[in-house]
Amino acid sequence: MSDPSETGIIAKPTTMFGSYRFSAEAHDEMASAPGEPRPHWQKFASSLERLGRDELTLRWDNARRIIREHGVTYNIYGDPQGMDRPWELDMVPLLIPPAEWSHIEAGLTQRAHLFNLILADLYGPQRLLREGHLPPALIFANPNFLRPCHGIEVPKNVYLHLHAADIARSPDGQRWVLSDRTQAPSGAGYALENRIVLSRILPDEFRDCQVERLASFFRTQRDTLHGLALHHRDHPNVVLLTPGPHNETYFEHAYLARYLGFTLVEGGDLTVRDRRVFIKTLDGLQAVDVILRRVDDGFCDPLELRGDSFLGVPGLVEAVRAGNVTIANALGAGLIESPAFLAFLPTLCRHLLDEELKLPSVATWWCGQAKELEYVIKHLDEIVVKPAFASLSRQPFFGAKMNTPEKEKLIAAMRARPYEFVGQEQVALSTAPVWLNNRLEPRPVVLRTYVSASNDSFVVMPGGLTRVSTAAEDPVVSMQSGGGSKDTWVLSDGPISLVSLLTPSGQPIRSGRSAAEIPSRVADNLFWLGRYAERLEGTVRLLRCVVARMVDESGADGSPELTALAQVMVSLAMLPKRFSERVPLKDLEAEILLLIYKQDRVGSARDMLTRVRGIASIVRDRFSADTWSILNKLHIDARSRPRRIPLADALTLLNTLVLDLGAFSGMEMENMTRGHGWRFLDFGRRLERATHLVKLLRASLSADVKTSSVLEPILEIADSVMTYRRRYFAGVQLPTALDLLLMDEGNPRALAFQLAALKEHATYLPREAHAAVQTNEQKVIAAITSHLHSVDLIALSQLREAGTTEPLDSFLANFVSEFGVLSNQLTHHYFSHTVASVS
Amino acid sequence: MNYEITHITTYDYSHPVSVSHHVLRLRPRELTRQVCVRNEVRIDPHAAVMKSHTDYFGNPVTFVTVEGAHKNLVVTSRSRVEVRSTAPPEPADTPAWETVRDLCLDDQPNDAAEACEFIYNSPYIKIQPAFAEYAAPSFVPDRPVLEAALDLTQRIYRDFKFDRKATTIATPLEAVLKNRRGVCQDFAQLEIACLRSIGIPARYVSGYLETQPPPGKPRLVGADASHAWVSFFCPEAGWIDLDPTNNVMPSTRHITIAWGRDYSDVSPIRGVILGSGEHSLKVSVDVLPLDSKEALQLVS
Repeated sequence: MSDPSETGIIAKPTTMFGSYRFSAEAHDEMASAPGEPRPHWQKFASSLERLGRDELTLRWDNARRIIREHGVTYNIYGDPQGMDRPWELDMVPLLIPPAEWSHIEAGLTQRAHLFNLILADLYGPQRLLREGHLPPALIFANPNFLRPCHGIEVPKNVYLHLHAADIARSPDGQRWVLSDRTQAPSGAGYALENRIVLSRILPDEFRDCQVERLASFFRTQRDTLHGLALHHRDHPNVVLLTPGPHNETYFEHAYLARYLGFTLVEGGDLTVRDRRVFIKTLDGLQAVDVILRRVDDGFCDPLELRGDSFLGVPGLVEAVRAGNVTIANALGAGLIESPAFLAFLPTLCRHLLDEELKLPSVATWWCGQAKELEYVIKHLDEIVVKPAFASLSRQPFFGAKMNTPEKEKLIAAMRARPYEFVGQEQVALSTAPVWLNNRLEPRPVVLRTYVSASNDSFVVMPGGLTRVSTAAEDPVVSMQSGGGSKDTWVLSDGPISLVSLLTPSGQPIRSGRSAAEIPSRVADNLFWLGRYAERLEGTVRLLRCVVARMVDESGADGSPELTALAQVMVSLAMLPKRFSERVPLKDLEAEILLLIYKQDRVGSARDMLTRVRGIASIVRDRFSADTWSILNKLHIDARSRPRRIPLADALTLLNTLVLDLGAFSGMEMENMTRGHGWRFLDFGRRLERATHLVKLLRASLSADVKTSSVLEPILEIADSVMTYRRRYFAGVQLPTALDLLLMDEGNPRALAFQLAALKEHATYLPREAHAAVQTNEQKVIAAITSHLHSVDLIALSQLREAGTTEPLDSFLANFVSEFGVLSNQLTHHYFSHTVASVS
Repeated sequence: MNYEITHITTYDYSHPVSVSHHVLRLRPRELTRQVCVRNEVRIDPHAAVMKSHTDYFGNPVTFVTVEGAHKNLVVTSRSRVEVRSTAPPEPADTPAWETVRDLCLDDQPNDAAEACEFIYNSPYIKIQPAFAEYAAPSFVPDRPVLEAALDLTQRIYRDFKFDRKATTIATPLEAVLKNRRGVCQDFAQLEIACLRSIGIPARYVSGYLETQPPPGKPRLVGADASHAWVSFFCPEAGWIDLDPTNNVMPSTRHITIAWGRDYSDVSPIRGVILGSGEHSLKVSVDVLPLDSKEALQLVS
């Protein structure tokens, strides 16, 4: 080991890499000795040194902003932060030199090939069992052995279309596979997003280090999945089946679906008819050829698999059996995730491939064998005991951390059903530098690698998801327990092919016809997204109007306008009854702040933001990255809290929200394709705007409110003050104000404008070929429109000003109820859902 | 013996169901001692899809889809079955029960390899010390396995009361053991749990039972129900059936439909309906002997 002072610029202890200290008990990925980067790190290290700490800090802030704006999230079950925790990405990638990578690549290809052969045997002839190469308990006691899937032929005999392996490195530098993922491997999408962020914040380093690109891997995966179609081979319909927005990696499901051009579906979006799988779209049933599943196989069909599953599709197994749909990974592939298999891989590899296992697995003892059981019990303090069969619920046991009664209990359980346990050696993980508190610190890492089937062979992703343990001493690396991640740079000897460059913002490589189809559930969500976004805007505009007047009046006891607005809010049920009388301004202020910030108050701005966010995240694969950024900004902006001068802060926040919402609706108008999805979104928005307007007018023109005090604020809320002034050159009068807000088809805030838009949408919404000339929606819209035009506004206004409120009120009330009818009709026509139940 | 069997299942739904899928295990399987001469399944309303295959355990299965709104569903299965009697081995001549257990623990492939599938936990039957304790008085050291198993069967028959109201499909076996009440399905699964808990392979058999009316009363059509019993593995002899509900070794009056690890593998009809609301279920089974009558009375 050389003296750090002799190794050039990097070795100076004051530099970032020079002052990097790691434990001598672990292998460090970056440094061979203190201050001495390994050869393949030197170019990167000197480049980072040149940037300097301050620049790195700036770029790190930039990276965090990109992650927030892209809305990269990971849901942690039971996390106090709630859903959608921001993804943790470290600045420093893990670098792997070309020679080491070819070794890993060869090992992973062999492994995927081997696993596929084992699965093909176990779900077919089971020679491995009959000839004694695998003990029966490993399969027969394994809950992941899906008997209904035995004997079903799969196309090209491929069971594993995506295989993931977690690789660790022991202190001697040797790489070991810790575990495999064959069920529905996650993380490839996060690896891609990590790459997009890092190549953006470290563009020069990324270019200079000659890093292998990831896009070709995803292209292979997409082409492989297309190639699995048994029908419609020219335009196969591939869907990505997700458990839904509550799943920990939902972000990734939506992200990959958009990136690969697949339709994102939940179990309820699919149905089996005539032993074929269909997606329920607005245009009716569309055949599905291939399902990329992120639902565990046992949950995929309540008819033949787990009856308690709500995530699956009844009849799916029969559709697979009939050869009408292909599922990736094949149903049943989760079997081989069981850690118990690791103990048998070397012999199986020799038997099935006539080769030595190139990439060894961590030492594993399956307790179903008498000798192994005794060994594990004897060495309980050095060994980790795990369930032999993959399962979510059970945690590993660390003998060294258990007391005697706990150990005795574990040993008793192991003796009762030994085949349910494995012992595994604990590998001291290698460390890699992470950027923390403006310096580099060592943290344990595990590399998750991905292998995709490709024709007759397998292709390895040149890179992967490097996962980082939170604490320097933590033996378990898991995103679920709150660890972070790194980009993984596989370095190349030669030039990097430019063909495989990533499209920077994650646009689809090629979008098939499937991307255009809208499941009914998605249309339903878009409709409600439109409604809630508009409801939020209406609320925010009303609150802003009130708060602006309170800020002006600070100290005074409130203007007539404020009194009128409080009365309006009481009749809109936004404020308690007592506010219809004159109350101290302080009370009103407190109540208004609650209406803005209080999370669990129904109808508060915060509450509606949460709803908007919740619905938007369900349909996020429908939005461009830019639109999603705006939604995210809205979410982040809304988190701010009032500080010194609460009202002034609130006003700033409300102004920001109005702008954010404007940007969102602008994106929606300018950047969304005018497909059915957009029509439902805008239908919801128009319907809500119309409803909100008539409700506001009704509340404002009731008997108690002074008309003269309320007209100006209403025009302000409806964003029509300027138009009014330009058009009427006069103080605000009731008949002219009503004319502008109700009848004016040129005013985008007017009722007539909304009705015209709704009419157009209703014309273009999908309908059955044999349907009547006019749909029910069209009929209701026509009736509402004629109700609007049948009225004499001047007469109604004169009556109101003379104190007779009833005619105007019932004129407005009629709209409210008719809009409710319209909403129900639309829901009934397009979104009616059915629930499955098992008997 | 020859039988004409009519098995009618009627579902009534509180709300119309738009699509329903069902998996039927209603066709008696072929055995050396049993021939299914004819089987016919009728679905009302008409099924859009009816497709048969053989399941993992070798049972005939039919997948059925009914499309279009329906408020009820009637599944009628008619079978003509011929059952021959077989001579069971002499209990005292069967191997000691420990040899059966040890065969399954052996790492090397052997005669019991396929039977070993039936010593582990299954969805409805979990191995528990309590079941091993219940089995212990019958399984004394070195006792021939069939002798021990017959003793266990007899004890369950004596200790447990047949009671249709005591259990449902969801009642855990621990509760059956504690309350000592249940129906044929419970007794079969309980005996399987006992056998598996001491390491003997045991499977669940679903089938029909010919029952006779009390002397002098006319035979009631549809009074019979579907039945369930146990089969355990005995080296050389193979699988041997036991009926703990009636304390007999099934012979020509038991008609086998299917077998599996427990009820979940062989339920006669399993369905998923798309629609909301409740459903009610009515089952009637009629086992009509076409030959001479026997006097014994059995319950299912």
